[in-house]
Amino acid sequence: MKTPREVLLARHQAAEPKLDAIRAAVVLGLNPHSESPRAWAAGGWTLWLRGPKTLWRELILPSRRIWTGLATVWLLLFIINVSQRDPAGGGAGHSLRSPAVMMSWQVQQRWMDELLADRSAAPEAVRPRTVPPRPRTEENKLMAA
Amino acid sequence: MPEVSALEQLPVAQARAGDPAAWDALFRRYQLPLYVFIFELVREEQVALDLVQEAFIAAVRHLGSLRADEKFGSWLFGIAHQKCIQRWRQRREILLAEIPETPEAFDDGPDELLIRREQEAAFMKLLAQLPPPQRAVLLLHFVEEFSLEEIAHITSAQLGTVKSRLHYAKRALRKLVLAQDP
Repeated sequence: MKTPREVLLARHQAAEPKLDAIRAAVVLGLNPHSESPRAWAAGGWTLWLRGPKTLWRELILPSRRIWTGLATVWLLLFIINVSQRDPAGGGAGHSLRSPAVMMSWQVQQRWMDELLADRSAAPEAVRPRTVPPRPRTEENKLMAA
Repeated sequence: MPEVSALEQLPVAQARAGDPAAWDALFRRYQLPLYVFIFELVREEQVALDLVQEAFIAAVRHLGSLRADEKFGSWLFGIAHQKCIQRWRQRREILLAEIPETPEAFDDGPDELLIRREQEAAFMKLLAQLPPPQRAVLLLHFVEEFSLEEIAHITSAQLGTVKSRLHYAKRALRKLVLAQDP
């Protein structure tokens, strides 16, 4: 009679030599003189120092779908940005200086001047009176006559 | 718990310092149970060996994220479980061939389940037939005798879900043992 653990381990005992080889390879890869596991564990900025190949394998490749998505979005934004520019390269300032706009602007300017001129004329209503002032009763008599 | 004293004496602190001998001892302790766990989930020898290697490398790289040294075993199995899930996702395998979570009491009885030699093949066959989530829980329970909380942590599942999975898996095994009893 065996426990399930004993049954399972006995079933896979044959894989032990291969597992020994894997273990040896991983431990050999630790290489304490060049790069300790602590340095590996530190990750982060040290990743940038380990060259583009490592960067590609450890930063880009595991999240390649996310990176592809981001790149697509950036590309789309760039395309939209480029397509919305004026091909003549003048931008907004140039379009304002086009003849039609200039003419319209001049017409509006003229209307504005006329309006302002009318308002400036309004104070003429208080021009000096030529007839000298007299009492209202005398004025009424004159009107009746 | 198997080899409790060995678990307590695991050289995790030395491994943190980058001692290759410590890593060798840690990997030697876990390599076969880890392989059994992975193989019984992915069912391919070469894939299982690759995943063991990947789990070892990930352990070396990310040991800094392990807070409690005594949890090294469950932490390592957690890494291996994640690797298996990634493999399943790559192959678009159905992960959640799931059983309903039962609120009823878990009358599993004594944990000790002994298997006779003539039952071994049937036991392995039944294990292979279980849905992957149940199989993972049962393997973690059998191979390393992790606690329910540890299994929940390793598999990123709720405690109730783990209890349910273990209950159904053990019940199926018990039926097998009883059916083959003379």
